[in-house]
Amino acid sequence: MVRRAEFWGGLFWLAFGAFVTWQGWLLELGTLREPGSGFVFFWLGLMIAVFAVVITLDGVRGRGPLLADLWRGARWRNVLMVILALIAFGFLFEGLGFVLCSLALLLFLMTFVDPVKPVLSIPISVVAAVGVWYVLEKVLLVQLPKGSWLEGLPLVG
Amino acid sequence: MDVLAGLGQGFAVAFDPINLLYCFIGVFIGTLVGVLPGIGPISAMSLLLPVTLSGTPESGIIMMAGIYYGSMYGGSTTAVLVNIPGEAASVVTCLDGHEMAKRGRAGPALGIAALGSFVAGTFAIVALMLVAPILAKVAVAFGPPEYFSLMVLGLTILSFLTQGSMIKALLMAAVGVVIGLIGLDQINAMPRLTFDRLELVDGIGLVPVVMGLFGVSEILSNIEQQIRRDIVQSRIGSLWPSREDLKASAGPIGRGTLLGFLLGVLPGGGAVISSFASYAIEKKLSRTPERFGKGAIEGVAGPEAANNAAAGGAFIPLMTLGIPPNVIMALLLGAFVIHGLQPGPLMMSQNPKIFWGIIASMYVGNVMLLVLNMPLIGMWVQVLKAPYKILFPLILMFCIVGVFASGNAVFDVFVMIGTGVLGYLMRKFGYEAAPLVLAFVLGPMLENNLRKSLILSEGGFDIFVVRPISLACLVVAILLLLAPLLPALRKRREKVALDVTE
Repeated sequence: MVRRAEFWGGLFWLAFGAFVTWQGWLLELGTLREPGSGFVFFWLGLMIAVFAVVITLDGVRGRGPLLADLWRGARWRNVLMVILALIAFGFLFEGLGFVLCSLALLLFLMTFVDPVKPVLSIPISVVAAVGVWYVLEKVLLVQLPKGSWLEGLPLVG
Repeated sequence: MDVLAGLGQGFAVAFDPINLLYCFIGVFIGTLVGVLPGIGPISAMSLLLPVTLSGTPESGIIMMAGIYYGSMYGGSTTAVLVNIPGEAASVVTCLDGHEMAKRGRAGPALGIAALGSFVAGTFAIVALMLVAPILAKVAVAFGPPEYFSLMVLGLTILSFLTQGSMIKALLMAAVGVVIGLIGLDQINAMPRLTFDRLELVDGIGLVPVVMGLFGVSEILSNIEQQIRRDIVQSRIGSLWPSREDLKASAGPIGRGTLLGFLLGVLPGGGAVISSFASYAIEKKLSRTPERFGKGAIEGVAGPEAANNAAAGGAFIPLMTLGIPPNVIMALLLGAFVIHGLQPGPLMMSQNPKIFWGIIASMYVGNVMLLVLNMPLIGMWVQVLKAPYKILFPLILMFCIVGVFASGNAVFDVFVMIGTGVLGYLMRKFGYEAAPLVLAFVLGPMLENNLRKSLILSEGGFDIFVVRPISLACLVVAILLLLAPLLPALRKRREKVALDVTE
C-alpha cells in the first residue's frame, strides 16, 4: 500500500483539500443568499478532499504504479540539478543581474547537466545571454535587473 | 452584408504592413515551435505575451493567433520526419506520417499535411466569420447562471476528454479554481490565501503558472531521459501528392475539417482530441483498416485537417462568449485583457476593427503558412537537427525572461519554478495540467457568476435549472460525469487514451 504512487499522491491532495476547506471556513462562508469570501473555497476544498480519498483508496487497494517505478531508469540527477540551478538563479537574479546570471545558468546546464563541448557552450551562452538582454532592453524596452550587488563597478551602468 | 463590410474592414487592418509583419512573425514562430519538440504553442505564447504590449492590440493578438495555428502546421513536420510530435495535436500524425517517410514518401506525407491543414484552416475561418455574429447575438441574453453552467460544462468536457483518470482530472480542475481565486475577493475586496504577501494580493499570474506547468515541467521530463531522434535520412522528394493520394485524402480532409471544427467550438474540446477522433473515424470507415499505422495517407490527412479546423473553431467561444475553451485561448484572453479589451458578445460592435482584423489576418496567415511549409521544409529539417542539450538551456532561459518580463517581478520566477516542479510531479503521478490551467483562468469568472446567481435568486439553486441554456449545460455536464460509470462508455473513453500510447 505505502509503495503505491496513488496512495502518496492521494494523501498529498487530501492534505491540500483539508487546508483549503479550513481556509474557506476561516474566511467566512456567508449564507446562500449572500455567499461569503470563503464559500467557494470551503466547498472546493471538500471536493478536492473527496476526490483525494478515492485516489488514496485506489493506492490502498494496490492499484496504480509503484512509487519506485516512476523514477526507474530515469536520469533524476539531471532533474535535481536543473531545479537547484533555477532556484539559485531566482535568488541571485536581482543581485547579479540578468546577463551574469543567465550566462552562469546556461554554462552550468551545458557543462554539468547534459555536457556540451566548451567550444560550443561558451559562445552559445555568451551570444544568447547578451543577445536576449539587448533585444529586451534596447529593442523592446523591457527593464531587466542590472545587478544590485554590482552597482558602482566601473562596467555596470 | 454586415459580414462582408466587416471583413472588408478586417482586411484593411490585416494588410497594414505592421500587422502583416506581426502575422508573419506569429506564423513563423508558431511553425518553429511546432517543429521543435519540447516547446509548444503554450510556452511560446506565454513567452511572447509581454511582447504584445509594445504594439497595438490588433498587432499583438494577430501575432499570438498566428503562433497558435502556425504550431498546428509545424507539428506535422516533426511527426513525419522524426516520429516525435512537435506538439500534442500531432501525436496521431506520427503513426502513419512517419511510416510513409520510412517508405520514401515523406514528401507526399508533408504535402498532404500542409494541404489538409490549409483547407481545414480556411474552412474554420469562413465558419468562424459566419457563426460568430449569430452566436454573439444569442450570447447577449446570457446572465450569470448561463455563464456559470457553461463554464462548468467546459471544465467537465475537458476532464472527460483528458487521458487517464477522470477523478484526477476533476481534482485538477478544482485545484485550478482554488489557485485562480488567490488574491482579493472580487466582490468585497477581502484578501484570500495571500499569507500577508503583497505579491499575492493581485493573484497569481497566468504566465508563470503556464510556463511552469507546461514549459519547465516539459524540460524536466525530457532531460531525465535520453532523447533519441530518428530523423529520416532519405531525400524528401516532391511534396505534391499524387492524384491517387489526393483522391484518397479528399474524404478524410472533409470529415476531419467538420469534426475538428465542431470539437474545437465545444468548451473543453480541442485540437488534440479532434485529431484522435478523426483517426479513429477514418480507420473505422476504411475498407482496409489494416493499412493504418503502416503508412496510410488517410491517417495523416484526416487528423491534420481536424486539428487545424479545431484551432479555428476554438476562437468562437472566446470571441463571442468571452470564455476560453482551452489553455491556448486562455492565453489569448490574457492578451486581450492586457490591452484593456474584453472579448465577448459586445466585442464585434464595440471593437469591430480588432474582431474583423483578427479574422482577416487568419486568412492571410493561412496563405503564409502554406508558403512557409512547402518550400522551407529543408530548413525545418536543419532546425530539427539541433541537439536537445543545446536547446533546453536556451528554452529555460527564454521561460525565465518571459515570466520576468510579464510582471517585472522575481516572485513570478519562483512561481514558475514551483509550478514547474509541481507539473513535473503531476506528469509522474498521472495528473493532467490542462484542466488545472483552464480552471485557473475560469476560476474567478466561475466564482463571480455563482455568487451573483445566488444573490439574484436569494439563495435558491433553482436559478440554474429554470433557465433553459443553463439547464441544458448542466444536464450535459452531469451526463458526462456519470458516463464513466457505464462500462461501454468507459471502454470507449479509455480507448482514446489507449490510442495515444500506441
